[in-house]
Amino acid sequence: MRAVAVVGTGQTRHASRRDDVSQPELVHEAVCAALADAAMTPADVDAVLIGNMELFEGRALPELWVGAGALASGVCDTVLVVGFGKHSEGHTQTGMALTDPFWDRSVASGAVGNFALSVSQYVSERGVTEEQAARVAVKARRNAARNPHAHLQRADLTVEEVLASRVLAHPLHLLDMCPQSDGAAAVVIAAGEIARRHNPRPAWVKATATRHDQCYIGDLDKRLLRMPTLRDAAASAYRQAGIDDPLRDLDVAEIYEPCTYAELAWYEALGFCPDGEAGRLVDSATTEMEGELPVNPSGGVLSTNPVGASGVIRVAEAALQIHGRGGARQVPDVQMALATGYGVYAWADVIVLGDTP
Amino acid sequence: MAGTGVSGPLAVDTRSIPEMVLAAAEAALADAQTDFGNIDAVVTASVDLHDGLTASNIAVTEVVGAVMKPETRIAGDGLAAAAHAACQIWAGAYGTVLVVAHGKASMADQDSVEQWAWDPITIQPLGVGFTVAAGLQARAVMGEGDPEAALSRWATVASRRWQAVGVGSRPEDVLASPVTAAPLRALMAAPAADAAYAVVLTGEPQRRGPVLKGVGYDLDTHAPGDRDLASWAGLGRAFARACRVAGSDTGAAFDIVEASCRYPHEEELVAAAVPALADSDVAPSGGLYRGVAPVAAGLGRLVDTVDALRSGPPARALAHGTWGPAGQAHAVAILESAP
Amino acid sequence: MNQQPAAQLATQITLDITWHYSATEAMSRFLAGLRERRIEALRCDGCGRRYLPPRPFCGRCCLRMHNWVPVADMGTIEAWTVVHVPVLDSRTGAPRPLPYGMALIRLDGADTTLNHYLDETDPAELCIGARVRAVWRDEVVGAMDDISHFEVLR
Repeated sequence: MRAVAVVGTGQTRHASRRDDVSQPELVHEAVCAALADAAMTPADVDAVLIGNMELFEGRALPELWVGAGALASGVCDTVLVVGFGKHSEGHTQTGMALTDPFWDRSVASGAVGNFALSVSQYVSERGVTEEQAARVAVKARRNAARNPHAHLQRADLTVEEVLASRVLAHPLHLLDMCPQSDGAAAVVIAAGEIARRHNPRPAWVKATATRHDQCYIGDLDKRLLRMPTLRDAAASAYRQAGIDDPLRDLDVAEIYEPCTYAELAWYEALGFCPDGEAGRLVDSATTEMEGELPVNPSGGVLSTNPVGASGVIRVAEAALQIHGRGGARQVPDVQMALATGYGVYAWADVIVLGDTP
Repeated sequence: MAGTGVSGPLAVDTRSIPEMVLAAAEAALADAQTDFGNIDAVVTASVDLHDGLTASNIAVTEVVGAVMKPETRIAGDGLAAAAHAACQIWAGAYGTVLVVAHGKASMADQDSVEQWAWDPITIQPLGVGFTVAAGLQARAVMGEGDPEAALSRWATVASRRWQAVGVGSRPEDVLASPVTAAPLRALMAAPAADAAYAVVLTGEPQRRGPVLKGVGYDLDTHAPGDRDLASWAGLGRAFARACRVAGSDTGAAFDIVEASCRYPHEEELVAAAVPALADSDVAPSGGLYRGVAPVAAGLGRLVDTVDALRSGPPARALAHGTWGPAGQAHAVAILESAP
Repeated sequence: MNQQPAAQLATQITLDITWHYSATEAMSRFLAGLRERRIEALRCDGCGRRYLPPRPFCGRCCLRMHNWVPVADMGTIEAWTVVHVPVLDSRTGAPRPLPYGMALIRLDGADTTLNHYLDETDPAELCIGARVRAVWRDEVVGAMDDISHFEVLR
C-alpha cells in the first residue's frame, strides 16, 4: 500500500446558526481553507469524498450539488475529504425519529434519552461520579477556548456550573451533552512525494480500522461499557501502527465523544486505562492539555458538533497537531496522534497518524 | 468479479429492504462459491430520503454480514459503490469485498423525493422532479433538428427496449402514450422498480469471473442552467478516467455495453459522450426497461455485463450507472473476460 | 469590505413525503401476535440468542432464523433514565408530557432488550434489576405502542 498523509486541513467557524452562508458556501469556506493550508488549487485534487447527514440538513444527495466525484487511494494521488452539517437548516429531531417504523419509532426517547440509558449502565457498573463526568465537560470547553473554530468556548466553566445545568435525561445535564452546530471541515490527503512537497511535516496515515455492529439499541448489551466496535477497531489500528501502550505511545488523541460519560468509556475502550479506571484518569489530569496524553485539545464534539463534519474534524485536529499548526491548542512535539469516529453505537472508526510514513 | 446476485426488479416488491438485500447478497455469495465468513469488508449504496430512514445503511448492516467488519456507505449509484470497493482492493486494504445496492421506488413518490436534491432557493420552489429535468434534456438533445424525426427515432428505440424485456409496446404505442414532460412520452421512460443487487469483488485470481480493469466517475454541475444539457460531458470524463485506470485507449471498441439509459435520448447522449460506443448497442439486455431501482440500477448493469461476459466468447465490456437529475453523475466500469 | 451586508434571504420549505414501509415477514408475525397481546422472539440456531425485534438473519452468526420462542410481557430493567426533553408521540404527533421514564427492558424469554416507557419518573424509585410488567392499551392494533408503557413492580 502507498504511504498517504494528511497535508492540509480547513474548518469553518462553527456556530449554532451560520445564517450568513448557504450550505454550499459553508462547504466552500472549509475547502478553501484546506486547499490553502496544503498549498494546492482545486486543479491539484484528483477526487473528492463528501459526507453529511441528509435529514439533518433537509437536503438529499449532497454530493450532487457540492459537485464532487469520489475515489479512494490507489487510483488517485490527491483526495479532498469534506464533511459538513447545517442543523439550523434541517430538522434534526425529525431526522433522529426516522428509525425502524415498526420497532422503536413509536417508543423513541431521542438521542439524549438513548445516551442516558447506556450511561445508567456505565455508571452502575463503573461507579463514576457526576463530578468526574463534569470534569470532562470543563476540560472540553476550556480547551475549546483556545480553538478559534470551536462553537462552545468557556475558559471559566466550573464543575459546579455543569452540575447546576438543567437535567436533560437523568443523569445527563445540558453541559454533559454535545451541541448542534453549523459547520464544515475538510482535509487534503496526498500520496508519497506529493505529500512531502505540500507539507514539511505530513501527517502520515499509520492505521485505519472501521467496525460496524447490529443496529437496534437493545441488540448490544451494555453498549457504552463494552463498545466492541471501538475496542476491536482500536486493537486492529494499534497493531497496524505498532502501538503497544497507547497512553505512552500516543502524544495526542481527538476522540468522538457525544457526551461526557462517553469520553470516560472511550478511555477504557481505547486502552488509555484499565476498565474501571476512567474516573481516576480524569481526576489525575492525565488527559488535560498539560497531561501525559491530552485528549481533545480542540474541545471535541462536546464543544463543536456539525454531525456530518464531526468525524472529519477529529482527523483534521489530529493532523494539525502533527503538522505543528495547532496554535494555542498545540501539544508540544506530537509524533503520533489518534482520531476516532462514531455512529449511534452502530459503528466506530479509528485512525492513527504519525510524523513518519 | 467473483459473483453476482439479483433480487428483482419488480414493480412492487412487498418484502422489506433487508429481505431484498439479503436475497441478493446470498445469491452473490453462492455464485462466488463463498460465504459471509470470507468477506473482509462491505460497501453499500443507499439514500436516506429514498428509504425514509436516517443512516439507512444500518438497516442492512446485519443482512450484508457487516457485523464487526468495515462497512462503507455510498449515497449514490451502486456502480459507484463497486468502484469504491475496487479501489479498496487495489489499495491493498482488503482482499474480498461485498458490494450491495438497493432501491425501492414503490416506497414513496419519486418526484417528491427527488425535489429535495435541488437548490432550495432557486429550483425547489418550482416543484419540479427529475422527470422535468429529463424533459428539458430531451428538448436540448432535439436541438434545432426535426422534432418529428427525433420523436420517431426515440419511439423506435424505446419499443426495441420494451421488446427485449418482453413488453410488446410498438413505436406507435410509445408515441400515443401521454406526454409526461414534453417532448417525452410516458412509454419512452423505463419504469421505476424495486430491486437489490450484489457483487463480490476479490483480488484473488478467478477462473470464471471477468476482470474489472478500470473504474471512473464524475459529476457535472448541479443547476440544469449551468450545464450544457445536450451533453453528458460527465460521462466522457468518467470514461476517460476508467480508461486511464485500465491502461486502455479511449478509442478501443467494446463488445458488450450495458448503459443506464432511462430514456431513448440518453442513448444518443452516451454515443456522443463516448465515441467508442457510437456503434454499440448500449442495452442489449433491455437495460433499465426491466425496471429502474433508484441508486441501485447501475450495479444491475454491472451484473448484466458480468453475466454476458461469462456466457460468451472472450470480450471487452463496459457498464455504466448514473444518478441525479438529467445524468448529473456517472460511474463507468471497464471489464474483460477472465484470461 | 466595511459595508454592512444586506439582509439575507431565507426560505422555509416543508418536507412532505409519504413512505410506504414493508415489514419483514418476521416482524409481520410479531405484530400480528401483539394484536393478541402475545410476544414472540426469533432464536438463532448458531448462538442461541433470542431476538427482539425478530428479524430474518442473525448478524453475529450470519444465519437465517426460523425458530420462534414465546416471550413474557414481564421483564427486568437493564438501563433507565428520566427524560426532560420533548419527544413527539408517534400516534398523536404531539409532544409527550414531560418528564417521562424510559428503560431498556429484558423481557423474560428474550436476550436482547426493548426500549419502552415507564410509569415512574422519580430517579430515586428506579434501578437496574427492577421488575416491570407491560400495560397494554384497551385497543390493540398490532404496533409496538399497543403496550402503552411498563409498570414498575414493587
